[in-house]
Formats: sequence, C-alpha cells, structure tokens
Amino acid sequence: MSDEDVEAIPPSSFPVMLDETTKEYLFSTDEGTLSKASAETQVPTAHLDIGPEGLSFYNMDLYESQERLDIFTEELPSSRTEDEQFEAMEESNESRPRMEEEEYDLYTAEVSEMTRQYGIWDDKEDMEMGFQTQEPFVMVTQKQEPAVQNFKTWGEEPVKGEPKDRGAGEKRGSIHKTPAVDEGGSMETHQPCYPSEEDEPQSHEQHVGVRQYSEEAFEEEEWKEEVSQPMKASRGDTHIGESTGRWRDVFCMECRIAIRAFDKVFGTHKDHQVTKLSIAAEDTKVEIHKTMCKLEEQIAQMENFASHLEEIFITVEVAVPTVERTEEYTASDPDLKLSASLEFENDAIDFSDVRQMMDSINIVPAPSAPVINPQTPNSATSTSVRVCWSLFSDDTVEYYELYYNPVLEGTTAEENEEQDASMVKVKETYCTVLNLVPNTQYEFWVTALNTTGISPASERAVYMTVPSPPVIKKKVCRSCLSAALIRWESGNTNPVDTYTVELCEISRERSETAVTESIVGIPTYESIIQLLSGQSYLIYVRAVNIGGPSERSDSVIIYTTGTLFHLNEETAHSSLAISEDGFTFMFYGDEYTELNDITFSDNAFSRCVAIMGELIPIRGKHYWELEVEEQTEYRIGVAYEDTQRNGYLGANNTSWCMRHVTTPSRHKYEFLHNGSTPDIRITMHPKRIGVSLDYETGKLAFFNTELSQHIYTYKCHFLHYVHPCFALEKPGALTVHNGIEAPEYITFS
Amino acid sequence: MALTLVSSNKCFDGFQKVFEHDSTELKCKMRFGIYLPPKAEGGKCPVLYWLSGLTCTEQNFITKAGSQQEAAEHGIIIVSPDTSPRGCNIEGEDESWDFGTGAGFYVNATEDQWKVNYRMYSYITEELPHLINSNFPADSERMSISGHSMGGHGALICALKNPGKYKSVSAFAPICNPMQCPWGQKAFSGYLGSDKSKWESYDATVLVSAYSGPQLDILIDQGRDDQFLAAGQLLPDNFIAACTEKKIPVVFRLQQVCILILSLVFV
Repeated sequence: MSDEDVEAIPPSSFPVMLDETTKEYLFSTDEGTLSKASAETQVPTAHLDIGPEGLSFYNMDLYESQERLDIFTEELPSSRTEDEQFEAMEESNESRPRMEEEEYDLYTAEVSEMTRQYGIWDDKEDMEMGFQTQEPFVMVTQKQEPAVQNFKTWGEEPVKGEPKDRGAGEKRGSIHKTPAVDEGGSMETHQPCYPSEEDEPQSHEQHVGVRQYSEEAFEEEEWKEEVSQPMKASRGDTHIGESTGRWRDVFCMECRIAIRAFDKVFGTHKDHQVTKLSIAAEDTKVEIHKTMCKLEEQIAQMENFASHLEEIFITVEVAVPTVERTEEYTASDPDLKLSASLEFENDAIDFSDVRQMMDSINIVPAPSAPVINPQTPNSATSTSVRVCWSLFSDDTVEYYELYYNPVLEGTTAEENEEQDASMVKVKETYCTVLNLVPNTQYEFWVTALNTTGISPASERAVYMTVPSPPVIKKKVCRSCLSAALIRWESGNTNPVDTYTVELCEISRERSETAVTESIVGIPTYESIIQLLSGQSYLIYVRAVNIGGPSERSDSVIIYTTGTLFHLNEETAHSSLAISEDGFTFMFYGDEYTELNDITFSDNAFSRCVAIMGELIPIRGKHYWELEVEEQTEYRIGVAYEDTQRNGYLGANNTSWCMRHVTTPSRHKYEFLHNGSTPDIRITMHPKRIGVSLDYETGKLAFFNTELSQHIYTYKCHFLHYVHPCFALEKPGALTVHNGIEAPEYITFS
Repeated sequence: MALTLVSSNKCFDGFQKVFEHDSTELKCKMRFGIYLPPKAEGGKCPVLYWLSGLTCTEQNFITKAGSQQEAAEHGIIIVSPDTSPRGCNIEGEDESWDFGTGAGFYVNATEDQWKVNYRMYSYITEELPHLINSNFPADSERMSISGHSMGGHGALICALKNPGKYKSVSAFAPICNPMQCPWGQKAFSGYLGSDKSKWESYDATVLVSAYSGPQLDILIDQGRDDQFLAAGQLLPDNFIAACTEKKIPVVFRLQQVCILILSLVFV
C-alpha cells in the first residue's frame, strides 16, 4: 500500500473507500496477520457499521473539546466543533472498519492489548511507526472477536464530511463517524441493531451505528468483556514465523514487524519505511508508558461519563414519547420547521433510535408468534368464549393482544380480513371474550409483545359461541301414556348442529328434579320420547353447535296419565271458531262466517264443518272425552291424516265417527264408516262421550261416561295412524277433554 | 239337592257339563247346562244365566251359540237352563210349540192346570241360583242374565223385577212387549188367565215404566230381517220408548246380519 493510496482517499467516498482501503490494509499476506474472514467483516455495509471483530470503542472524550482529542491526535482539524463532538459520540458505537495491524512482536502484543482495551492509542506511535493510514476508525460493537489489534488506526472523519486532511496517524484517537451516517434523517437508514443470528455468540444486541449516548455506556462494558476474548491468539505472533533464519534487526514501519534487512530490499517490504529495531523498541516503550498514564485519566473520565449517561438515559426515556409524536408530526409534514432552539435542532436526537437502543439493551428479542389453541369443548357460553394460546418457549412476553372478528357468512377470507378486528389486551395466556353474539363463529388471532417489539400474528383459530336456547312450542306438544312428542323452534337465526332433549322425572319424594335422561344428536325440530306411564316430566331442549350446548330452554311439563293432543287449527273449516285454550270449538252457522275468515287452505275441511286433532303417532291405547249438549248435532270419531278434506266424516273409508242428529220425534245415532251405519237406538242421550282407541286390538269405542255405558265399538285394524276428528252439523259447540286417565270399564268394550 | 252329572266335555280348557236334578219348584227333573271356564278351577267366577227361546232345551245354546270360547277367555260361568218343565203330563202341554212344553215364558203360572209345574220365574230367579252357588265356584255377587226371544223376555223381566240382582241384562231379539203380541197373549192367557193386570207383572215394557232401582244397563240386539220382528211379535220399539221415557239406559242394536255377539258388561 502506498502513501499515495492513503492520501488519495477522498472524504466523500469514504464509506466505499473504507471497504476497499481497509482491505488494502491487510498488509501482510502472511498467516496470522489478518485472517480473511476478519478482513471481510471489516466493513459490513454502510448502514450498519459493525466492526470486524465486534469491538466497540468509545472515545472517552465525551464532554471535552477537541483538545482532549489532541492528546492523541496532534493534527486534528481545528474546525472540529463541539457539536461534532457530540455527533461523534453518537456515532461512537458505529462500527467502522478497523485498520488492523497484524504484525507486531510479542512485547507489543501485550501493550496493544491494553491500549485496545482502553481505547487509548498514541498518535505518535502511529507516526513513529510510519503508519500512514488515514483510515477512519471504525467503532465497532463487539460482535466478533476482534481479529488482531493492537495499534489500531483510528481514522477520523467528520460527520459532515469535512475534508480529511490529516496526516498519517492523525486520526487515531478521534472519533470516527461513519460517513454513511448523516445527521438526523439518515439515521433512519440504520437498521435496528439487532444482532442477527449470524453474529458471533459473544456479540449481541450491541447496536452499532446509532448515535446514542446510552448505548455507549453499555457497550463500554461489553467492550471490556471482549477483552477476555482470545484475540491474542490470532495476534500476529506468527509474524515471527516467517523468519528466514536470519536475525531480524529491522523494523518495518508499515507492516510493523521485524524483518530482515534483506527483506527490505527484496520482497514485500520493498517500499516500506524501516527503522532500526532497537529504536523502534525504545519508542514503543515510551509510548506505552504514556499510554498508561492516559489510561488512568481515561478511567476517571469513563466513570464520569457513565453517570452522565444515566442521566441522559432517563431524560431520553421520558422524552421519547414526546419526540415520537413530534417525529410523527414531522414525518407527515417534512417541511415543518421546529421552533425548538437551534441547539436542540442540531442535536436532533432521533428518539426512535434512542428507544431502539434502549430496548436492545434488554437483550430481548421480539417474541415469536404464539400458538393459538383450538376451542376446548364446553368452554363457551352463548355470549362468550374462552380463548387460550401458548407462548413460544423461550420468549419473554409483556402482554398479548388478542384480535377477533366474527366470521360472516358469504364473505371471503379477504373480506373478513378487511373488517376492523376487535382487540383485547391480555396479560395471561387465556382470555374470556365477552359480549359476543350467540351461535356465531369468531376468528381469533393473537400477537405477543415485549419491549422489543411485536411478534408475528399467530395462526387464526375459529371459536364459536354456543347457540341461544330453543323455544319449546308447548301448544303443539302431544303425549300419551307411554311417550311424548315435543316440538320446538331453533331460537337461533342460523342453523345449529343438533339438539339435545333432557328429561326430569318429577316425583313427590324428591323435591329437586335431576335430569334422568338425555337424548342427543337430534337433527330436527321435534322428537318422540319414550316415557313411563303415570308420571310427570319436565322436558328441556338445548341447541348444540361446535362450541357446545346452549342453556336449557324453558321447560314443558308432560303428564303420562292419559293422551294429550291439540287441535290442528289448519284443518279447521272456516266456519269453526276455536277458543283461546284451543279445546272448544263453535259453529255459529254459515251466515255468521266472516269472509276474511274463509281460508282456502288445502288442509282445511271445506264441506264438513270439522277439525282434526294431532294425536301422537304411538300405537297403544288412547282415550279422550267430548262434551256436548243434548241437542248438539255432531260427528265425532277418528280419521286418517289424509282423509278427504272435502268429504264428510264417516262417509268414506278413511274416517269413523259417531253421529248424532235430532228429528222432531227422536234422537238419531249413527256410527258411520264408509257411509254405512248399524241401527242403534240409545235411550239416554250422552252429554259426555268417551272415545277409546286401541291400535293393538283394532277397536274404536264410544261410551256414555256419565252412565259408564258402552255405546258402540268399531272393529277395524287401522292401516295408518289416525287423528281424532270432530264436526258440528248445526250451530253448536263441542269441547274436547284430554289427558284423562281412561276409566276401567272401557276395557270391556 | 243332589246333582247328577249327565255329561261333561272339555271345551276351551274348561268344561261344558250338563246336570240333572229334581226341581222343587217345577216338581220334575230338570236339566241345565253349565260351562265352567278354566279360571273356575282357581276361584269364583261371575255367572251368566242364559235363557233360551221357544222350543229350546238346555242343549241349543250349548251347541249353537259358540259362547264357550268367549266365556273361557273372560272367565265366566254360563248356565243354560231348560225352557220349561218336562214330563209333567199336563194335558195340552205338547199341543203347540209356543205354549206349554218348551214355552214356559218364565212366569209363575196361576191357572190351575199349570200352576203346580209351570213356575219357571221362581226356578230361574231362586232355585237355580241357589243350586249353582252351592255347587259351583260361582260368585254370587256377580250375576247377569241374558236370553233370546222368549228368553230375552225372561231376562228382561227377571232383571226388572229384581232390581240390583243382576249386574247386566242383555237380550237377543227379545219379546219386549208380550201383552201386545200374539205369543204373549196366548201364553199369558193360558198361564195367567184373562186378568190382564196379572200380565203386566210379566211384561218388560210395562215393568220398565214402573221401574225404580239401581241403574240398569240394557243391551238389545235385534236382527233387522227377523221375521218375527216384522210379524210384530217382538215390539222392541215399545220397550225403547218406555225406556227413553223412563231414562233407562238401553242400547238397542239393529243388526243387519244376525250374528250372535256376546258382549257382556260387568260393573
């Protein structure tokens, strides 16, 4: 490397040059001088000035003027201002390519170690050594082992690009600023100094390249740590190895090794300046002594500095939010002129970087994405779900942010993402999210946060609230001695998966009613449940989806003491009026039928003024009673579900009925099926008629209940289930009584 | 008195037996049929007295009615007595089929020639029940009576004249109003004389009008095409009218096809 090369370095192109020149400064190609690896790492990139070996150097002259520097640098440019000083300090953490002098003897090795340790160097030394480098000193954070150091060449480059007109070695001791780093805005180009995984183990979050006072303090410490690193091993002891056997009595100032005179003439050291070895040694000793003195002073300064740093740290910490806002504001309007003092402006402390630096002090990485758990069964209610997730093992997390969105039907995944998600801040790894809509799916994802930053979002998990409870349609439930048919409404706007029916036997012995039976997996809105006769039951229904079962519906009470059915108003002839309780119906006569009551429903009787009940479709015995007046003309009996609606009860083969009409002379009773009837005379006119239906024996019997008198029995094996039917032949009323226990005498019909 | 077993046949797991005995009321040997259902072996059973019609003996019902199966199923003893005293050597007893032998009309005769033997009313309502209750596992509290034609008439009057004695009464094509029909008039005038006031006590229609007693439950089946109905011998309408008037529950079934259906209602 020639002097020309060194001097020719234009300041403006410093960073680039830095790369090249530092490489050029690998003077010796001998082994052990500069390992290739360390050479390459000298200047990472412009933005991140991590030095080759991770050593961070702090210029101890943090508060003093340039004069301080002059101790070390005799030819400092006088134009250096205090501001620059500060800037310099800010950048002190930036890594710089370090000039590495590989070659030196053992004695100097130790000295170099110490000086390096304390950041002390002697410009004189440089000069004496004839070290011509003007390479800027690169402050590196300690990342890797500094390859070899001893006399580093500290170049100094004013941040503002002041001309670098120093002689060889003058830069040493001064603070180098990374040329790539501009004031203010350019700081943003610095990457956060998170150590990447590729960094050496010892190095960590030493942020390099950011001007921060606080960091310096920390890095200082680490820098000390670094000292212990076995750098020495790589020191150029091997230089000696290159001896050719002859005594070396010449000291090459450029390479800083002892060489043979012979080598001076021939070989790599041809153009280097040399001096006598003994002289060189003496000079070195003096230098070392001086260095040690300075070292002591430096220590005192350091302590001073550290305490100052703390103050600044606290100040900065407090000011960060303010500056953040300012920064945002500034960012939005770049032309904004701050009214702050010039000094402040000049300082232009970039607090985002400060914060980053501070955060990085914790040496805590941002967390990895948490793992969100699938929904646990029975952990949800109709308005809440309990979401759980887990931490990624080694992470430190301050809190979590749980996001959620309802999953809307008919929207795509992208549309879902565009919705504004709700968010909950949670410290634990679980959260019960409230105020949700029943029977709805929600997408949940969670991010973890610590002081360093925010993790990527976890996978999205879908949780579902349980449905609202169904509503039992009590009016249309039917029952008999051995079973009940329960019908309900979903109670939810969207479909649910299944329904569960729960039974409680009501017993006088036990005051509390415990669920005695559950029927699950019901896919439709009704269910036939087998029951014991002569009991009372409370029946509930729940709706079930993947989130679990809903709360119980309101209950319906079922008595299995008799057959209970309701009248199907859909089948009623338009002239029939039905009472509130649904069990009495009246025929006022055709002339009283209001026009708007005439419904041309397919299911209604159109000619016979009739109505059909809905009997539970269970084979077995059923019994009900009817109440009439003596003069009521009626047809009462049963019919198949699909009996002709335009026919008359008993006139076809799908219905059976007892008919009563009155003539002026007498009462006439008929038992009609398929249009024919036996001739039956009854002397007592029943006012309460018991009807007994027995599928097993194929019998339909009629009784005068007041007399316990059997009137008539049809014998017919019903092909299908039948329903009770009632009709009025002339204006009158008829009341149905059911749920009654059948009297004994009907067994003998 | 001593019962002599005349015949015994296993029938539907029970026994159809015929006994003979010396009747104190009728002063002659009388036979009756009795069906004992399987249940009778284990306990007392209700008894149905079946009164046959004109020209019948104790055999007609046993052989023709086919009642044993139902009786066995329901556990009922059926007693079928003869329709009149036999072998009394009364002059004119065999002259006509509807008077005298086989036509006792279930009355206690008052006319001289007949009054010694022809006491069928007492036989049926007194002697025979005693006999049955003493010799057979019969539940004396549960008796019913039924009959056909003349027997129907007999059943009706026995029930009406003995309120509460019979649990139910039913009849097939009974002579409901004997005073108004040829059969009745012939028989009553022969057995009871010409005093019609005496006839009234054996006429169901008249009796029912004056009936007062526990509720009856009367079932009458009548073949629609019964020639005797057309001939005015049976006159059920009169009876029904009287019952309707008196609010006596009667179910009268006019059957298209004459099928004997044994429907028994025990309360």
